[in-house]
Amino acid sequence: MQRRTLLKLGMASATTLALAGGAAALLQPGLEGGSLSAAGRGVFAAVAEAVLDRSLPADPAARQMALNSLLHRIDVLVESLPPHAQSELSQLLSLLASVAGRRTLAGLAQPWAEASVADVQQVLQDMRLSSLALRQQAYAALHDITAGAYFSDQANWSMLGYPGPLKI
Amino acid sequence: MSQLRDPIREGIQRGWKVSGGALGPVPAKVVCDVAIIGSGAGAGITAELLARAGLQVLIIEEGPLKSSSDFNQKESEAYPSLYQESAARKTQDKAINILQGRCVGGSTTVNWTSSFRTPPATLQFWQGRFGLDGYTAPALAPYFAQAEQRLNIQPWRTAPNENNDLLRRGAAALGIPVAVISRNVKDCWNLGSCGLGCPTNAKQSMLVTCIPAALDRGAQLLTETRAESFELANGRVTALVCRAVAPNGALAFASHAGQTLKIVAKHYVLAGGAINSPAVLLRSGAPDPHGRLGARTFLHPVVMSSSVFEQKVEAWNGAPQAIYSDHFLETQALDGPIGYKLEAPPLHPVIFASTVPGFGQAQHDLLKSFPHNHTLLALLRDGFHEESPGGKVKLRRDDSAVLDYPLTDYVMEGGRRALLSMMEIQFAAGARQVLPLHEMAQPYTSWAQAREAVKALPMKPRLTKVVSAHVMGGCGLAGSERLGVTRPDGVHWQLHNLSIHDGSLFPTSIGANPQLSIYGVVNRLAQDLAKRLSGRDVALA
Repeated sequence: MQRRTLLKLGMASATTLALAGGAAALLQPGLEGGSLSAAGRGVFAAVAEAVLDRSLPADPAARQMALNSLLHRIDVLVESLPPHAQSELSQLLSLLASVAGRRTLAGLAQPWAEASVADVQQVLQDMRLSSLALRQQAYAALHDITAGAYFSDQANWSMLGYPGPLKI
Repeated sequence: MSQLRDPIREGIQRGWKVSGGALGPVPAKVVCDVAIIGSGAGAGITAELLARAGLQVLIIEEGPLKSSSDFNQKESEAYPSLYQESAARKTQDKAINILQGRCVGGSTTVNWTSSFRTPPATLQFWQGRFGLDGYTAPALAPYFAQAEQRLNIQPWRTAPNENNDLLRRGAAALGIPVAVISRNVKDCWNLGSCGLGCPTNAKQSMLVTCIPAALDRGAQLLTETRAESFELANGRVTALVCRAVAPNGALAFASHAGQTLKIVAKHYVLAGGAINSPAVLLRSGAPDPHGRLGARTFLHPVVMSSSVFEQKVEAWNGAPQAIYSDHFLETQALDGPIGYKLEAPPLHPVIFASTVPGFGQAQHDLLKSFPHNHTLLALLRDGFHEESPGGKVKLRRDDSAVLDYPLTDYVMEGGRRALLSMMEIQFAAGARQVLPLHEMAQPYTSWAQAREAVKALPMKPRLTKVVSAHVMGGCGLAGSERLGVTRPDGVHWQLHNLSIHDGSLFPTSIGANPQLSIYGVVNRLAQDLAKRLSGRDVALA
């Protein structure tokens, strides 16, 4: 994470990060080889459940399958992003997956995997309306990638009432 | 896959000189008369005219060559392959998402076909403020007429789809005039998939018109090849250095040599689109004695209002844009509070879902309304007021281009007025609920409720959803070198064998969808250039 970006978080958060997380280089990257790392998948899995809560299948097995399929779609989407955008997204996910970043940037006390849908939705809402640019930008990236990737899959078009393109 | 004829694949079969990416390796060195960077609106017109003049033309395109056989009307394939940064290009502060083409044909391959001549008021402003005395409506009229004939640009005579008709009906109920949009289509199937690449070749984009005309006359096309920088000496370009790129824009590192390509031409035409054209000059260390390069880049920042109707709207279906209103451009001073043009955008699943704000139950309800959803957009006419100076193109540390576009209070207050106008029209058309796209807004069920809520919203970047599909400026035309980058004849003020022929020429925004402005202005510049380089008079077919 660039020093300038850290400064945007405010000195208090930057200090917290420095103490708790150590050098950014020690954090796990959010992307590895152009697709989501384990850390990145953990963040997106929790975010996707919160963003798409009512749109994902209710049945637990079907829901898990839909989430796995979504994570694969996100991998495909990430692969198509140019290097600078991949690098930014990787840093963002890396930060969100770290303990210090999760607490300061997202404001989430517990690990992503242990947070309830309601907890993550509250965190997203706070980021969405935050006065800090970096938190708003993080929300927009998580929201737009999740929703866009999910509905890029024609398996999910019926929920939208979209029949698909006319065959020609 | 489309079963229709594919004029591009047929051209390749006939022996067009195309290479790069899947079409095979590019040569290590090319010598030609004119090297054209880009293959969009400005590049295409220029390529056809110069090839008609008998000049050896080379076209360099960063994106891939895709054609009707590839265009399957799916966003999941169109965005990564046809758009800059996979349709997720953003301004530096990430407050504005920018849609721009990145493929052979450029944005003309993916635009919604809306065609307007440059408004006379815009031209008058250029004459007065930028010394562009020759840019009058009568002087440009024949060049617009030729482009209109070449690209079959005519008012859309088919009935508008419901999405556009709602704009017509709502505006009529309020006494707001609307008009029919002209489109560059021939035998259009009225599918509504223009933004994903036309699968029937009805859209008269550069991909199926001027680029094939140039290739049929022996022009050479390099695809998936990025123009990195010019080599400069004594006020001239001496060479252009290019690199092969991977589908996502990363530099391609193949094992064999020849990944760097050097092009030597007598004349160079930069037409990579606003953002990318200034970036090539920035990477080249081009002279910029008056600090104009990359500055005054405009976007027509767009705000949107989403609404739900009882009846089906199916905004994905039918010609994407058929009706517009200039009422809020024409009823206020050009250099007063910012004016805006109203249009209706088509909706497809990915763009819709990523634009629907929020999450959980509220988002789910909006998503479910998709077939009944009607969205209006307002294009804010930026660049005519001192508090609307536009943005500046910069380079990131990896030398990629980024636009820094601060959204000023002046622009955002125009956004508020535009949201109010659009919501009122939607209620007047019978909307059951209206949602201005703002993170703090709620769906409103009456005009009075919506009006009070929007008057109180903080019109801040990122809280307000802002997008753009019209990037203009950054290499502005001016009658004096103090005021711009490019001379009135399209030649760079400091580099005498370099012309700029794309939307980056415009010294302000256009105040209308810009494709026909690019065609018309460049048609004149390229005819003059062809005459200077070849001594021959040429015109579009």
